[in-house]
Amino acid sequence: MSLSAVFVLDLKGKVLICRNYKGDVDMAEIDHFMPLLMQHDDEGLTCPVMSHGNVHFMWIKHSNLYLVATTNKNSNASLVYSFLYKLVEVFTEYFKELEEESIQDNFVVVYELLDELMDFGFPQTTDSKILQEYITQEGAKLEVAKSKVPTTVTNAVSWRSEGIKYKKNEVFIDVIESINVLVNANGSVMSSDIVGSIKLKTMLSGMPELRLGLNDRVLFALTGRDKGKTVVMEDVKFHQCVRLSRFENDRTISFIPPDGESELMSYRINTHVKPLIWIESIIEKFSHSRVEIMVKAKGQFKKQSVANNVEVRIPVPSDADSPKFKTSTGNAKYVPEKNWVVWTIKSFPGGKEFLMRAHFGLPSVENDELEGKPPITVKFEIPYFTVSGIQVRYMKIIEKSGYQALPWVRYITQSGDYQLRTNM
Amino acid sequence: MPYLGSEDTVRDLRRALANPHVQSDQLRYRNVILKVIRLMSQGLDVSSLFSEMVKACATVDIVQKKLVYVFLCSYASLNPELSLLVINTLRKDCQDSNPMVRSLALRNMTNLRLPGLMEYVEQPLTAGLKDRAACVRRVAVLGWAKLHNLHPNSEIDAVVVNELYSLLRDTDPVVMVNCLRALEEILKEEGGVAINKPIAHHLLNRLKDCDVWGQSEVLKILQRYQPQSEDELFDILSMLDSSLVSPHPTVMASTLSLFLSLCWALPAVSLAALERVRVPLLAACGSASREIRFTVLCHIQLLLRSVPGLMGAHYKRFFCGYAEPAYIKQRKMQVLVELVNDDNVALLLDELKDYCTDVNTDTAQAAISAVGRIGRSYSDRCLGILIGLLGLKQENITSAVVQTMRDLVWVCPQCSETVCSALEGCEEILQDSQGKQALLWLLGTYGDRVSSAPYTLEVFIDKVRCETSSPVKMELLTATLRLFLCRPAETQDMLGRLLHYAIDEETDMCVRDQALLYYRLLQSGIDETRKVLQGRRSDPSLGVLIGLPAEPVKHWARVFNTLKPLWQSFSETESVRGRSCLLSFLLLIIVKFSVHVCVFQAAMQLVNIQILAFTPSHTLPWRVYLYTHTQAPPCTTLILGELLYTGKPTEEGVTLKQQPRDDKALRGFLSVLITVLHTLSSQRE
Repeated sequence: MSLSAVFVLDLKGKVLICRNYKGDVDMAEIDHFMPLLMQHDDEGLTCPVMSHGNVHFMWIKHSNLYLVATTNKNSNASLVYSFLYKLVEVFTEYFKELEEESIQDNFVVVYELLDELMDFGFPQTTDSKILQEYITQEGAKLEVAKSKVPTTVTNAVSWRSEGIKYKKNEVFIDVIESINVLVNANGSVMSSDIVGSIKLKTMLSGMPELRLGLNDRVLFALTGRDKGKTVVMEDVKFHQCVRLSRFENDRTISFIPPDGESELMSYRINTHVKPLIWIESIIEKFSHSRVEIMVKAKGQFKKQSVANNVEVRIPVPSDADSPKFKTSTGNAKYVPEKNWVVWTIKSFPGGKEFLMRAHFGLPSVENDELEGKPPITVKFEIPYFTVSGIQVRYMKIIEKSGYQALPWVRYITQSGDYQLRTNM
Repeated sequence: MPYLGSEDTVRDLRRALANPHVQSDQLRYRNVILKVIRLMSQGLDVSSLFSEMVKACATVDIVQKKLVYVFLCSYASLNPELSLLVINTLRKDCQDSNPMVRSLALRNMTNLRLPGLMEYVEQPLTAGLKDRAACVRRVAVLGWAKLHNLHPNSEIDAVVVNELYSLLRDTDPVVMVNCLRALEEILKEEGGVAINKPIAHHLLNRLKDCDVWGQSEVLKILQRYQPQSEDELFDILSMLDSSLVSPHPTVMASTLSLFLSLCWALPAVSLAALERVRVPLLAACGSASREIRFTVLCHIQLLLRSVPGLMGAHYKRFFCGYAEPAYIKQRKMQVLVELVNDDNVALLLDELKDYCTDVNTDTAQAAISAVGRIGRSYSDRCLGILIGLLGLKQENITSAVVQTMRDLVWVCPQCSETVCSALEGCEEILQDSQGKQALLWLLGTYGDRVSSAPYTLEVFIDKVRCETSSPVKMELLTATLRLFLCRPAETQDMLGRLLHYAIDEETDMCVRDQALLYYRLLQSGIDETRKVLQGRRSDPSLGVLIGLPAEPVKHWARVFNTLKPLWQSFSETESVRGRSCLLSFLLLIIVKFSVHVCVFQAAMQLVNIQILAFTPSHTLPWRVYLYTHTQAPPCTTLILGELLYTGKPTEEGVTLKQQPRDDKALRGFLSVLITVLHTLSSQRE
């Protein structure tokens, strides 16, 4: 791929930090970035890749920062963007929040990270767990790092250091599924899918061997068992610790886990799911006088389950005023800066139906600006439940010292990109 | 950012750095250095502290060392002499017992980018290749590439090259990949690293050990390998099969790219590979990162050129989300247009109709023209939508709709009836020149069917003094003259007024000249005028531009998985000379099969190439003069061209002149030209 240099800019285009990896592109070229971006913006042609002469800028935006990579070659675009996102990921792990302030406060660590992540325009060590061992600048680690040789440098298992000890050996498994739904204005589901991930919090001593069993349909078909509900997973992505060859051969998920928190795998299920929370809305706009909104929310999941912290966000015109609400449960609040009403329901049992009415005044002088038709969005969380029906059947933990360890499993379903278009 | 008091700050810092008390206290020393680096990143010029910092480099404190190295690498090129002092410390560090110190020293030694230091660096680098710690070897390997980059002309020792080749078998996957990268750089002149059978198979076997970056690199370099037998080829393909459906878009794309280059002779296998990546591609379309999504969409457009039916059933995946940026929405719509078929057209148009009223005018415009494109195959449904949009009476929407209708009528003459009946009233809403031009063209060309055409034109003529855009005025002249030819009684008076204004009062030369031309034309008789002005109203044969036959994969395989497909006006960069041979062949076909010049002209106009003059067909030598200008900022360039066909193979081809020089535009022009000629000639065949 070969990048020439990486820049971190603030919103005004001032360089906060940069690293020149190859030296084949003039570092002053970055001065053209902001004018180019503004020019493209004016023309409505904003594009993640821009060129000035034979220098290409590939950029992403994260909070109040631009991360820009320059190159003068016909690089592999997807790799460059992946790398920029990797930067964001690593920085975020180090500074919790990646923004202008955190870059300025931690510029030395940023330099160090940039140095380790890439050399001569080629990505080197990008796993944040391993990077940890190279970085000297981090608070408490400062003194320790002085003499410590990175253990993983010569280690066969690069993601786990040797000699980890815990008093109580436990592993926590979180199965989290988020649902993406797009429903169009006349109520038909345009697209829906489930994105799931299995997260681990490992607190195990030594070098344990773990094996995870799921109710995977392909596995069940392989072994000839066919009882109970099974799940077909697509696009399964694993953490690098999982032995892919074994998964490909006999669908066994076996691995030596990284210490602490990590995402073991993610998957996507592309089946038609019934939207768990169904919204029917009538938004009537009487120009120059008022807007009347009636929203009905229905829980389309099992009676035993309860959705928590449900938030239904209903768009309203930006010039609306004097809100009045009536709800059968929960409470509604007008958020003028976002131009929406948030209807919050703390707990929403399955099969139930709730109603909310809102009334807004509209000014007699009409707003000139055109407004889009933002969709209704819904946020929720349903614990102890997965839409796909995926289950952890077992988690075997074997370590040569032979200790007993307990696996804990937790299931959560939550909303992802959950949109229902309106007629307003 | 030199701000007030910066000199004082630097002086204070220098004093602190030189202070023996500070130097003896590790923490204080480190803090002062930290301050220097902070000022440096804020843009303050602290280069004058170089010699003090060089001294600070000689320390056992690795934290301090790292800080100083950051400083030194930034300013070394300004102080090549002083940098020599650092080398000794660095060389000593290269022998340190701590591998981290060794790799750090080695990396920074090569990052100083000082050509004069080459002789000092070579020895530690050679030692580094044999270091027992992988992290040192990683740095040393790339170090050689950096060294070569500094001295592109000097030969790197063959022993080193051999050592690098043998390190391809290193146990550490990153060292292996770095070796590939370094050899690519060092052996650039010879065409990069040589891949023979043992190396290729070794790399394939190690592929799984590498991280995502490494895998992409290896896969890219393997493209150079040519399997010796079909059996070997299929062995390799089956080894790569699991990477082909890798959930990492980058690995998947690299593998596909390798598949395509390995199977260039086996189109059926390439197509099977494309089918296989469908699911991962669709998954990547839903990637969380919008830039990756954009990249994938651009590449899907490439794939669709060869396999139009690839995504047909999955059209819903390309529906736009509300919050998606305009550039993604526009790409998605372009893809949607390609995916339309009898089963999904109703739903797809329903969806596009929603986008037509998007707040973002560019998105709305793109949606409207997408509806127009679909209209070429499903005209009734699309016209219904377009006419419905006119009812909204919004300026930008109306303008886009009228332009789309103009384009649609040109290829689908059967739509003209409906379009003509819808035009009434548009002139009151249109404000922009593009929209006005489109309306005028329609009125001029179909004036006989739009009953109100003379009145509409009269409104324009009455306001011609306030019109600022000269293209609109020129279009108005043509439209009025055309209308005059079919409805002389109603138009004569206003045509006279318009010509009078344009010749007497107009300051724009183009408009005036055109008016003069028309005036003289009218003087020479109505039949002459008719011959010149009443060209074709439509050109259904241009339909071939839409239903292009599937392109062979090899047309785009080379640019797959690079930056290229991300450019909207994607053009291939081949040498101009290589192309002209193909061009003359195409010209031959055109002359031989006597493509009607009107078709040729219309096709050229569609891609914004104007034809100035041409010799009648069947005459030899046959010549066409054409011109175009690019509007890509920052500069516009004018291209004049002559296509020549003499019948003798040595004297034919294309001559292009350009002002100002812009190679990229020239190549783009040529590739567009060839595409058009290609389309026309394939249609004749």
